[in-house]
Amino acid sequence: MRHFLYLTNTRLVSLIARRGRIVSRREFAVAGAGANAFERYLAGMAEVPLRIFTDLAEEDFRLDTIPHVGARDREALLTRKLSQIFRNTPFRHALLQGREAEGRRDDRVMYTAVTNPEVLRVWLEIVERLKVPLEGIHSAAVFSGVMLDELDLLFPHTLLVTFTPGDAMRQTFFRDREIKFSRLTPIDLEEGQTLGTMIAEETTRTWQYLDSLRHFSQEDRLEVCVLVHKNDRAAIESALRDFAQLQYRLLDIEQVAQKLGLKPPPLDSTAEEVMVHLFLMRKAENHFASSEMRRHATQRSARLAATQLAAAIVVASLAWGGWNVSRVFQLTQADQRLTQQLSALNREYEDITKALPSFGVGGSTMRDAVTFYNGSIRGFPTVASFLVPLSTVLRSHPEVRLAQLSWQVTDDAKAAPRMTVTPSRETPPVKSMSKGGEAAPAQPPGAEDASPAFGAARYEVALMEATVRVANNDFRGAMAEVERLAADIGRIDGFRADVLESPLDVSPGLALQGRHAEREAASMQPRFVLRIVRERRAAA
Amino acid sequence: MNHVFSAEGFRTMRVSWALLILALVAGAAIIGASHWYAQQEKRDSADSGRRLQEARARLDNARRERDSLQESADVFRTLVDRGLLQGERRLELVELVNTLRARHQIALDYEIAPQRALALAGGRVFASVDVLASRVKLKARALHEGDLLAFVDALATNPQGFYPIDRCAMRRIEVAAAETLQPRVEADCTLESITLKEKRGAR
Repeated sequence: MRHFLYLTNTRLVSLIARRGRIVSRREFAVAGAGANAFERYLAGMAEVPLRIFTDLAEEDFRLDTIPHVGARDREALLTRKLSQIFRNTPFRHALLQGREAEGRRDDRVMYTAVTNPEVLRVWLEIVERLKVPLEGIHSAAVFSGVMLDELDLLFPHTLLVTFTPGDAMRQTFFRDREIKFSRLTPIDLEEGQTLGTMIAEETTRTWQYLDSLRHFSQEDRLEVCVLVHKNDRAAIESALRDFAQLQYRLLDIEQVAQKLGLKPPPLDSTAEEVMVHLFLMRKAENHFASSEMRRHATQRSARLAATQLAAAIVVASLAWGGWNVSRVFQLTQADQRLTQQLSALNREYEDITKALPSFGVGGSTMRDAVTFYNGSIRGFPTVASFLVPLSTVLRSHPEVRLAQLSWQVTDDAKAAPRMTVTPSRETPPVKSMSKGGEAAPAQPPGAEDASPAFGAARYEVALMEATVRVANNDFRGAMAEVERLAADIGRIDGFRADVLESPLDVSPGLALQGRHAEREAASMQPRFVLRIVRERRAAA
Repeated sequence: MNHVFSAEGFRTMRVSWALLILALVAGAAIIGASHWYAQQEKRDSADSGRRLQEARARLDNARRERDSLQESADVFRTLVDRGLLQGERRLELVELVNTLRARHQIALDYEIAPQRALALAGGRVFASVDVLASRVKLKARALHEGDLLAFVDALATNPQGFYPIDRCAMRRIEVAAAETLQPRVEADCTLESITLKEKRGAR
């Protein structure tokens, strides 16, 4: 809700606007008990922000030019000028109107003031007493230029004629949409004079005044726009006569109201409702109210801003909190789903655990034990399994007599089992000798490892010492028999046999000794050694 | 704005200032508390997710273990029956050797070394069991190599215990008088008496 006061020299009109429309109107007399009535009235709406429009005879307007300077200097200059021109009133204002087209291109300024502050002060005291938030005091004449803009009355020279509550007529002159002059004339009709003739006389007089100030050239024409109610139109229209330098345009206040969206339209020709409606459409700057006068409004705005900010903070934080809570809600739902999945997984785990075969030990123990068994124990070879296929081969070599066999399970294919050479009772007539004069040993003696590594038993290695019965001195036959035996063993699946010691070692590096008696036996049994390796391919 | 931040302005607007401060405090509290609550729930949710992952992993392990154990359960039952996990039973070993010796009519000397951790090829170790073994050396003499082989084979394949023989040297004993009743063959064999011991905390 907003409150507007339209102050003339005789009447004070209070207009209340709500949602852009004037909803209430009340008038008070300026003289007499009007002030008291107004104070009582205003006390009932002391919180409503207030604006005052002045339409007073004491308003003065003066044109000036000032050098074009910076904003701060201009402000100081205008303040000084205003205090010089209107030294007796605080209600003064300078209106910048652009720059001159030629010369120094000075700034054009119009000064306006309410030269008699007392006409305003009585009302402002009431406003101050009631701490009403006064937002501004506006000159209706200055503001009336908005009406020309809104009604598209854009002429080079326009004289806007309006009527004020309290029977007065305001003439405001605009050149190129800039206010240059304004005058308020009381409507005090003489005998035989009508409102129309008065308007004609006053506007002609104003034209003459403006012309004397060289506002017009010979070709210029002043467009006089008169805002009237249809009830007054007939009385006015007949009295107005256009001529070359002056043309009248009657603005029907109802049509104007319709164009501006003012509902309901004013009931008479006074312009205060149109002005207030225009202000609701287009805000205008404050003209006369000082900062001190407007402090309640400033504080009210600050209070409103603080309250709105507080509300915005609370709303934003609630929204943020709500968003967080919604996330929590989503997370909680997801948690519930996870918990259900977790329960299902745990149930399945427990079922599996219960169903696991148990022998009083952990599963890993069972697994390790089985792994060790499969890898190292199962299928571990036995000496019998090694000898059985060997025996079959030996049966087909009846001349071969086994003396000893040293067998070993190992992961090293080059390993050599320990074997002690058996002393032979029958020495063949020819034998190889080592450098020391002894028969070459099957293998150098070595200490047995007391704690050998237990492996996967990939190989079985055996040294087989045996003799072969052949005719005396038939070393070639003996060697051939041994070679055949080795070959036969090598044909067994997985077996390989090498002659480690031949019946007669004919290596050039060894000494060879022969002892032949006059009478020799019919046969001989030279000794030999085979190295037999069995690879266990299928061992796990 | 001088009228707002003046003493009079503060006095006039004290309710508004208080309201604004209250709103700021309340807003901060609402945002802070809800953010903390949301973060807490987020952490809880992350924990739940982690627990779920752990449960899945544990279940997968259990499934694999179930499949693995079902395959090896029969084998393990046999191992348990053969006393692999029951500690070394030297008395049973002594009795077994005596029984077999008598059955196969062989003369026998043997020596059982102190039990030790069996070193496995490649330095392999098991997480849940220790492999222990006692090295046994046998020196046997028999009239016929068949008796000797039967004794060794019976020992190696005995249904109780694990006695893998890894070395064996057999040789013929030359005798002067062929008609006399004395051992004609002898054997030096070594074997391992193997047992497993479950490690502490393996269950």
